[in-house]
Amino acid sequence: MIFMDTEIIDKDVSILQMADSFFPTGLYATSNGLEALLQVKKLKSNDISQFITIYLKQVVGPCDCTALGNAYESCKKRDLASLIKTDESAYYIRLIEEPRSASVRSGNQLLKCVSTFSRHKKMLKDYQNAIVTGKATGVYPVSFGVATCSLDIPKNKAGLILLYGFTVSVIGAALRLGILQHFEGQKIIHEIRPAILESVLRNIDRPISSIWQFAPGLDILQMKHEMMSSKMFIT
Amino acid sequence: MPSNRIPRIGIGGPVGSGKTMLIEQIVPILSAKGYKAGIISNDVVSKEDAERMRRNLATERGLMAEDLVIGVATGGCPHTAVREDPSINLSVVEELESKHKYLDLILIESGGDNITTTFSPALADYFIYIIDVTGGDKYPRKRGLGIESCDLLVINKIDIAPYVGADLKIMDRDAKIVRDSKPTVFVNSKTGQGVDAVISHIIADVLFAAPPKALVKS
Repeated sequence: MIFMDTEIIDKDVSILQMADSFFPTGLYATSNGLEALLQVKKLKSNDISQFITIYLKQVVGPCDCTALGNAYESCKKRDLASLIKTDESAYYIRLIEEPRSASVRSGNQLLKCVSTFSRHKKMLKDYQNAIVTGKATGVYPVSFGVATCSLDIPKNKAGLILLYGFTVSVIGAALRLGILQHFEGQKIIHEIRPAILESVLRNIDRPISSIWQFAPGLDILQMKHEMMSSKMFIT
Repeated sequence: MPSNRIPRIGIGGPVGSGKTMLIEQIVPILSAKGYKAGIISNDVVSKEDAERMRRNLATERGLMAEDLVIGVATGGCPHTAVREDPSINLSVVEELESKHKYLDLILIESGGDNITTTFSPALADYFIYIIDVTGGDKYPRKRGLGIESCDLLVINKIDIAPYVGADLKIMDRDAKIVRDSKPTVFVNSKTGQGVDAVISHIIADVLFAAPPKALVKS
C-alpha cells in the first residue's frame, strides 16, 4: 500500500511539473494572435475569455488535443509508424508559418528536457531519431503526448495540462500586454474550467483522421501579426 | 563541450547601451581575420536590431549570409529568453549549428534589460555585459548580477563621459572591486575605439586562439 501511495504521488508531481508555466518550452513568447487583435480592437477581460474559448473549441481542442491523444496511444503501443502519421497530420494542419515553426521548436525542446529525467525513454528516443532523420517534425502536441506517456501521466490529465497550459499562456500574454490585471486573469482561468474539460473529453479519443481546426478570423490575425514590425510576441 | 557545438557568446545589457552596435563593430574585425559568425538577436518589441544588422553586415557589406542573422521575439521577457527558459534560443542555435557547421562562433544578443541579466550556461559559453557611461560612474559599484558575473564587462560611450560627469577611473576602480579583477574594457562603439581589446578577449578566451575553421580546411 505504501508503494502504491508513493506511485500516485509520483504521478501527481509529474502532472504538476508539466502543468507549470516554469517548465521550459518557450511558450511564454507566443500570444496566439492576441497582440494583433489588440492592434485592431480595444480588448476587455470578457473578450479574453471569449478568445480562449473560441481557440479551445475551434483549434486547440479538435487539433492539438486530438493529436496529443493519438500520439499518447501510439507511444503506449510503441507504434512509431502511427506516431509519425500523427506528427505529419498535426504539422501540416498548421496553416501559419511562424506558429508552425514555434510549435516544432517548443516540441523538440520539450522532448530534450523530458528525456533527461524520464524513466521510459524508448519511444522518446525513437521519436527523436525520427525527427533527426527527417521522418517527423516534433510538433508540440505530439511531443507533449510522447512526453506525458513517457512520464506515466494519464492521457486525460495530459489533455487537461495541454489545454490549461494554453489558457495560462494566453492569460500571461494578456497581462503583459496590459489588457488584464492579475486578479482578472486568475478569475478567467477559474471560470474557463468547464470549457477546458469539455474540450478534452470531446477530442482526446478521436482518431487522427478526424483532426480539424477552423478559425479563419484568427488565422488572418496571425498572418497579420507575422508582418507586424513592432511586436513583443512570436505570432 | 560536444564536438559539434559552436562556441557561443551571450551579449546582454540595458536598453540603448550599445549591444547591437558592439556586434556591428565585432563582426567585421573577426571577418577580416577569417572568423565566421552567426548572430541571434533577441528583441523585446520588434526585430529592428536583427533587420539592421542583416542589412548592415550581410546585405550591404557582404560579410555574412543574410540567413545568418536571426531575430527572436521574446514575449516581453528578455531575461527569460536567455536564462530561465532559453528553449527558443537554444532551438535557433541548434538550427544554426546543424545548417552552418563552418561557423566559428555564434553571437546571441539579449533584449535590452536590467542589471540582473545573465545567460544560461546551457545557452552561452561566454558572457559579455555592456553598460554605458550615461548612467553615471556609480554604475559598476551598484553591482547587479550582469555586472558582477559576466566574463567581460564592456563600458561604452566613453567619448561622452566628460559631458555626463562620469569619471572612467572611478568606473574602472569599482569594476575591479565588484568583479574580483575579471576584465573590463572601455569602448566607443560608434568609432570602434577599444573594440580591438574585446576582439582579443574573444579570440583568447572563447576561441582559445584557434585559427578560423575555413583556414584550417584549406
